[in-house]
Amino acid sequence: MATTLFSTRRPAILISHWTAAKLIAMSMLLLLTSNMANALPAFARQTGQNCVACHAGGQFPELTPYGRMFKLTGYTIGERTSVPLSVMAVASYAKVSDTAKTDDSTVDFQKNGAPLFASSSLFLAGKVTDNIGVFVQNTYDNYAAQSEGPNGELGRFKGHSSADNMDFRYADRFIGKDQDLIFGVSLNNNPSVADPWNSVAAWMQYVPGASPTSHQFFDGPYPELGAGGNLAGLSAYAYWNQTIYAEVGLYRTANRAFSFMSAGIPDADTTKLSGTNPYWRLAYNREWGPHNIMVGTSGMIAHVYDGGSDISDPNNKARFKNTGVDAQYQYLLDPHTITVQVAYMRQKEAYSANTIAGAAPPYFLADGVTPVAAVNPSDKTNALRAKLTYVYQAKYGGSLSFFNVTGNANTLNQTSGYDSTSLITTDDPGGTGITSTRVNGNLSGNPATRGFTYEAFWTPIQYARVGVQYTAYNKFNGASDNYDGFGRNAKDNNTLRFYIWAAY
Amino acid sequence: MRNTLAISLVATIAVVGCSNLERSRSLANPATPAKTIALQVCSNCHGIDGNSLSPNFPNLAAQQKPYFMAQLKEFRGHNRLDPDGFEYMWGLSRSLTDSQIEGLADYYAAQTPKRPATTASQLTSEGREIFEKGVPEKKIPPCSTCHGDRGQGNEAFPRLAYQHADYVYKQLMVFQRTNERPEGAVMKTVAHELTEQNMRAVAAFVQEFPAP
Repeated sequence: MATTLFSTRRPAILISHWTAAKLIAMSMLLLLTSNMANALPAFARQTGQNCVACHAGGQFPELTPYGRMFKLTGYTIGERTSVPLSVMAVASYAKVSDTAKTDDSTVDFQKNGAPLFASSSLFLAGKVTDNIGVFVQNTYDNYAAQSEGPNGELGRFKGHSSADNMDFRYADRFIGKDQDLIFGVSLNNNPSVADPWNSVAAWMQYVPGASPTSHQFFDGPYPELGAGGNLAGLSAYAYWNQTIYAEVGLYRTANRAFSFMSAGIPDADTTKLSGTNPYWRLAYNREWGPHNIMVGTSGMIAHVYDGGSDISDPNNKARFKNTGVDAQYQYLLDPHTITVQVAYMRQKEAYSANTIAGAAPPYFLADGVTPVAAVNPSDKTNALRAKLTYVYQAKYGGSLSFFNVTGNANTLNQTSGYDSTSLITTDDPGGTGITSTRVNGNLSGNPATRGFTYEAFWTPIQYARVGVQYTAYNKFNGASDNYDGFGRNAKDNNTLRFYIWAAY
Repeated sequence: MRNTLAISLVATIAVVGCSNLERSRSLANPATPAKTIALQVCSNCHGIDGNSLSPNFPNLAAQQKPYFMAQLKEFRGHNRLDPDGFEYMWGLSRSLTDSQIEGLADYYAAQTPKRPATTASQLTSEGREIFEKGVPEKKIPPCSTCHGDRGQGNEAFPRLAYQHADYVYKQLMVFQRTNERPEGAVMKTVAHELTEQNMRAVAAFVQEFPAP
């Protein structure tokens, strides 16, 4: 037991105001962001507690057992605040290992080596009544769109705000000497966002906490639902004796009365579902001493129209079936926080009839010789992600993440071509007019991507965190070497990233 | 689906109108009964019956009422500055009324403490010596003098029996090395000469409190 524990942690008001002001001002000024959501000072003001009460080791958004209870009881513990608002921002800087093997590095790596103030989020969050609470996130993406010059060259980025995670919740708790039942309903726009564990699809993406807009190559693959996250859904859940958690939800397109749940997202980019689509979740939880563990399963079946397609044509409808298992272990005993998360998600996508009909001609496996079937009517991908984190005194931390995506070779994934007769790789393999992107290309048509992310971070005050991450790929788009057919190797995409996160 | 959702929303809002004070998690409403607060909020960390699972949070079952009330008031008044105090308890206690605090004290005083499995280790034997006899050469009095033969506590002196060893150890460190618990100033004097080994031993002993 380190005795320094007793001399380094002080009530927030005793921390140097100058230090806090400097850090916050610096971070805010950077007009930042990322999807590292949910360390919500608005919630902290509602309960009067520190972030560590709800977030394991102060790392966001991972919840402690108490944080899970706060969420499942509808964000209603404490006192309603007059201004239930929070802001969050992240700035980052990333460098990719090799930016030479490209046709145009200014296009493929335009954000490389530049400080990014990608976006910021505004949260409306807190208790409304004794049974109702809200968590609404609106995110400003500084890189949401990019203008085009007169000759088709890339122009300036344009930012705009749009709906992010939303969770409107009603909850009640029937608790007595011998039983404890929490029951609730959640109106939300993202399947599994209502879940209190961090290994489900909506939250595992924050492991290790990358922003997809911050850099091309630093957001490793994560298990996600094929249905997307800008939907309108209603889920009902129950948590019995802090042991069994069950949730079922139905999701549909966020339109008409529910269009606010995808507000700000261009219509062509919103996920269009056919009818109502089920989501389910079942988890077993156990707590003993400073330990707690959860093992669970979740899944969804979604009928999704191809992006930007005509939704009156049923031939544009694809079917996604996701089934996942996940687990989380936490050891929480001041000053130590150890957490382990593992998530495995299988996804089967049955392509729309129009997609199949328009599929490109045959391609080849990574050997460049073995042809791949012309059309797979459906494909399977499996994403495994695991993360081990240690945090000391809720201040100093490090994590190791592993990700491994596998799946069958998939002609529809194919973006590069290789002709085994001519031994020539072309940038328009099928003569379809679809130009291959060299860096993002996939010679094999296989989605296999694998690697590790190493991270070290420091949380000097509970409202700010700085960190460095290094992601090393040993497979990317199906191969370790020459995955795009133009000589680019997986490790060329290794990325070093710095970030500053702040929330208030 | 749209209708289903709309109907569900309306139904939800309707149910809100029937919000039940007996199941409230409001900490700013003087009308919220103490037992409700204990069950809906405190139980999340301290257990339904005041026996907490995690050693991060002290057991409250059968705690002495005067000690319990004094602590909540110290949290409310921001006089307890130890990390666990301000990180968790300042906010939760900030709007509790004296009467709610007394009600919470009554609730926990009436609970039955759970005895953990005993290990009868060398450490607990060492702890028993200190608890029952003190450390005479350092003029450290026996813990039992104030906390009772069975560690049951006495009014302003807290119950220690079956308390988490990790919690007791950390609080002894707070008393000895900081001024973060001014209300426990007497313990600063008592704990002054204790070694870390002494503190671990006595903490291990009170957690198990094996029969003599």
